[in-house]
Amino acid sequence: MVNAIKGLLISCDIPMAQFIINLNSSLPASQKFIIYKLDNTHLFVQPTVGEMIRSAISEFRDQNSYEKPA
Amino acid sequence: MPQVRIIAKNFMDMVASMPAMKLDRLYENTFICEAILRSLPPLAKKYVLQMLYIDQPVAAKLMEEWVLQDGLSKHKVALDRLVHLRVFQETVDRKRETSYRLNPKFQANLQQHVTLGGILPREPMSFSISVKLPSLDELQAYALQQWECFLLQLISSGQSDKPTNISPSMMKLFQRGLLTQRDREAPKLTESGFRFLLMDTNAQLWYIIRDYINNAEERGLDPADLISFLLELSFHVPGEAYDMNTLDDIQLATIKDLADLGLVKLQQGRKESWFIPTKLATNLSISLTDTSSRKEGFVVVETNFRMYAYSTSKLHCEMLRLFSRIEYQLPNLIVAAITKESLYNAFENGISSDQIVAFLQQNAHPRVADRVPSVPENVTDQIRLWESDMNRVEMTHSVLYDEFPSRELFESACDFAREWNGLLYEDSKAMRLVVKIEIHDQMKEYVRRQR
Repeated sequence: MVNAIKGLLISCDIPMAQFIINLNSSLPASQKFIIYKLDNTHLFVQPTVGEMIRSAISEFRDQNSYEKPA
Repeated sequence: MPQVRIIAKNFMDMVASMPAMKLDRLYENTFICEAILRSLPPLAKKYVLQMLYIDQPVAAKLMEEWVLQDGLSKHKVALDRLVHLRVFQETVDRKRETSYRLNPKFQANLQQHVTLGGILPREPMSFSISVKLPSLDELQAYALQQWECFLLQLISSGQSDKPTNISPSMMKLFQRGLLTQRDREAPKLTESGFRFLLMDTNAQLWYIIRDYINNAEERGLDPADLISFLLELSFHVPGEAYDMNTLDDIQLATIKDLADLGLVKLQQGRKESWFIPTKLATNLSISLTDTSSRKEGFVVVETNFRMYAYSTSKLHCEMLRLFSRIEYQLPNLIVAAITKESLYNAFENGISSDQIVAFLQQNAHPRVADRVPSVPENVTDQIRLWESDMNRVEMTHSVLYDEFPSRELFESACDFAREWNGLLYEDSKAMRLVVKIEIHDQMKEYVRRQR
């Protein structure tokens, strides 16, 4: 019997995938969002977490940059 | 350099899109007839002149013989345009032969124009007492200043020193599409807003005027009246003074708005008041493509991501602020730095790296403009790299299928998804496939049928 799951396909480079996997494992079990790790660069996640992942990435990016105070 | 343009349309396309009844009314005005004639493609112009003194319909077949075989496509374009503008009236007789004749009103007006020569819509005022009228240069400067002031108010309300009296609701209307309007958040420039700022003045002006005309009805004006007035205005001589008393009420209301846009300058004497059209007004009816007069650039970008803008204009400063960090401002110089953070701001507003690079190249200071490349390569590359860094993660709403009972079914399902151009990912070992959510229904149907 074929099984169908609705979700979000994420395709990205390997470091980004690792970042997302790490984010997933840092959350409590009830909030884990990765459904399948398809391969190194593809993840299949819950359909609702897109915004959350994006904001986590931009937060991560902001941590790595320094803005000169005005 | 491809010119960025939100709309390729011009004044005449707008005229052409008017309902037939209104068009016929417009043609009662000689100036509109002349403006239309000017705007036509060369072949169409020739046809109009050729038919000017022919009072009978000319058969389409006969007209086709006027051109050689290779010219047929141009011939068709010209005819299309003429019929579209209702300059040519098409008649089909009993034998199903098409023939054309000039719109009688249009014809009469043009005939008169040919014999009597062009008359100005109104006579310039002659002053008994010597009144100092602004020189053409002063007028041009005034027009540009007015326009810049308007633009500044458009992109950042509250920034300009002297507020124009364009009503806030009108301003909102102009801003629609150019700025994002979210509650509790300062309005931000959208992608098309940025492109709008990059266009040359005439194209910008047309964009605004188009909105102005489209909204005439809401203000209780007839768009046709407005178009005819604007076209009439474009036949006035720039720099001459015209009496305000010759205008009717609608035109009086309109001309105040036009003064805010820099199309006319209003002046008042002791008894009478008058308006002076500027170059902006007279350029209106000219097709936009002819007037790509390049303004002199002002930006120097260095390899260390510093940007020096030799400009006194606040508008330029606002534009640079969209994607760079203003470090300091001197009376005639703006020093800015292109930083990762400032660019991220721009990208979040939907401005692309290509637009920024194009802007820097188009506005390069004359000193660096003839250098190749005018913007250092490491800067342009870095801008693009930073943009691609934003898009490292791609997410697509999709459906994953697994637990296929047989390999054949899996493979045929893959092929089916590929046919629909919706296959995103397949893993033949684990027999999983991911397709776009749009084709989920088709997929479901297909798998059910296979069993």
